[in-house]
Amino acid sequence: MSVDAVQTALGTEHAALWTYGMVSAFLGNQAAAVAEGANAHRARRDATERWLRDKSATPNPPAAAYLPPAPVSDGPSALAALVAVEQDTCAAWRGVLERTDDAALRTTALEALTTAAVRATRWRKAAGTTPASITLPGVASG
Amino acid sequence: MISESVSRRRVLFAVAAAPLAVACTTEPPAPPPPDPLSALAAQARADAALAQTLTAVPAAAEIAKARETHARLLQAEVDRERPPLSSTAPPAPTAPPTPPDPLAALRTALDDAVRDASAVVAKLPAYRAGLVGSVAAGCASLREVLA
Repeated sequence: MSVDAVQTALGTEHAALWTYGMVSAFLGNQAAAVAEGANAHRARRDATERWLRDKSATPNPPAAAYLPPAPVSDGPSALAALVAVEQDTCAAWRGVLERTDDAALRTTALEALTTAAVRATRWRKAAGTTPASITLPGVASG
Repeated sequence: MISESVSRRRVLFAVAAAPLAVACTTEPPAPPPPDPLSALAAQARADAALAQTLTAVPAAAEIAKARETHARLLQAEVDRERPPLSSTAPPAPTAPPTPPDPLAALRTALDDAVRDASAVVAKLPAYRAGLVGSVAAGCASLREVLA
């Protein structure tokens, strides 16, 4: 049960990494923050794949490409794509929290949920979205 | 034979009666420990009250609203698991004395909220871990707004 939830979370990590790579061309003025987010997702992806292999599961591979909710053609649409992918990541890791009693996996899932929520907030701030904060990260209406 | 059967009966009676005697003499069971979500709900109400005093900070209204939502959802979960005996609402937080530096106090309060909610997540049943995890992440998000 928790393996399926972790595979879903791995899928959002793949999507996040792909999205950070895709938007970097439009966010040259925020290159450091983009690189930081990409590195965080890369580390999370690697750790998640290791966790799955330890459970004798085969980590799902990344898709060839991902479809952002709206086409990305400039800075604002790039920020919107980052916000969307971070919120998807929040939802997937909250799903893991709800499906495991394993303390170590809970800790990992909470950390992934929290850091994704902070990055989503940062991108919403950069985009001038109000409110910038997300009341309940990982909940569709949050 | 007879004496043997009597003694067996006595033994059986004694065995059967022993827990009864224990049950009659032991203290009544202690009340269940307080729900950890109850403290988190109180913390959220206090943060909302504090944020409401910071009318000069643009993000304060957003923080007050978010922490009120957290308080409502946490309290609803507390009441669902252990329905309150009376229908009285939890006591409204007493207006805290305005701290000398309210903005710093709010930052500290949100840091505490992230830490306390995160600490509770590990010990909760899975169906509650999602809610409290989202509250912890939500407080981290609010803290980022004030950063």
